[in-house]
Amino acid sequence: MEEIVQGQLSELKKLWRSPRMLLSQSLNLAMIVFSALMIWKGLMFLTKSESPVVVVLSGSMEPAFQRGDILFLNNQDDPIRVGEIVVFKIKDRDIPIVHRVLEVHQKEDGKVELLTKGDNNRVGDRGLYAPGQLWLNREDILGRAAGTLRYLGMVTIILNDYPMLKYVLVGIMGLFVLTNKES
Amino acid sequence: MAETGRETPNAGMEVSPSRSGNATDSDSVPGAVWNRKGKMHTFWVRLNAVVFFGFTVLLCLAVLTAFSTYGHGDYGSVQQLNVNKLIQLRRVRDNGQTGYHYDQALFNFDLKADLSPAFDWNIKQLFVFLVVEYESKKNVLSQVVVWDRIIERKEDAVLDLEAEFLDYPLRDPAVELRNKNITLRLVWDHMPLTGTLFMRSDLVNSTILPDQYT
Repeated sequence: MEEIVQGQLSELKKLWRSPRMLLSQSLNLAMIVFSALMIWKGLMFLTKSESPVVVVLSGSMEPAFQRGDILFLNNQDDPIRVGEIVVFKIKDRDIPIVHRVLEVHQKEDGKVELLTKGDNNRVGDRGLYAPGQLWLNREDILGRAAGTLRYLGMVTIILNDYPMLKYVLVGIMGLFVLTNKES
Repeated sequence: MAETGRETPNAGMEVSPSRSGNATDSDSVPGAVWNRKGKMHTFWVRLNAVVFFGFTVLLCLAVLTAFSTYGHGDYGSVQQLNVNKLIQLRRVRDNGQTGYHYDQALFNFDLKADLSPAFDWNIKQLFVFLVVEYESKKNVLSQVVVWDRIIERKEDAVLDLEAEFLDYPLRDPAVELRNKNITLRLVWDHMPLTGTLFMRSDLVNSTILPDQYT
């Protein structure tokens, strides 16, 4: 372990001595960061959703979705129908909720009133909504589930539970991109 | 980086004699193995390669799995769906919400359906639900789920229910259920292990509710 650290340190020192190499490797790092950002923003544009990929945090949709599953969302304008799984946000609550739409009442002007419920919950979500709120509206919906991928979200959950781990990992990865000579 | 894939994880101490001659530069790190160019891969570079390659393989397999059932065109069918008996139709007031009235209907229904063809190796479960659809003066379309069931095994996918009671009462916030023509529809949501979600429905049947509260 110590030797690895020493090796990395000597690499860094070498980089520091040759600005051209440092610049090239920094650009390399920036490229990786910005491509990730571009992909995310591109997905946001295509799906019209402000968070195209979400991780399921609770068991309220079991057995369909478990904690740690990844959901891909879209937020297209076509009307929401009953049975769809949506991600919605309640005023004054930080964490969005993934539940299924059980009631749709559509007005003449296109406005909708929605009622949701978790597959694994016994009753509808009215108790979760803001005080006095009877229905969800279209603007409360952040996205509609289109696809799923299992387990991968556990990575995010672990990183969020242990923030130090996140910084250490990101730091190490950044360092290795900087000192990497293979590419 | 691909050539690191064949090396065993604890091959760190092995140093190929034929290559050691041209690889004695200052950045040699103990615990590393030689690659073809005579440079070394550190443990971390190899770990990174293995993890990255592993994730790529898993992702490819997941995508292939999702596509493998693309041509699966059979979704099952519904043979019978109708209201058996209306039990209650009345106007109620929600206790918790002041001033919130609605019409409430309770009934039981008969259902015969065979959804087993919908199962393939990528289906984790079917979410089967009964929707009541109608229109009212207030709403151009109302859809209310009154019954649902989660089916996880193909053997359980043949439904033969007689006088099955509703899971949730039919409640109309427009208070217009009297003399209303309601449509019953069975919908099932295909929930995959990995891949896209999609719904199918079959057989609609409509009924007119009585024009008096019970």
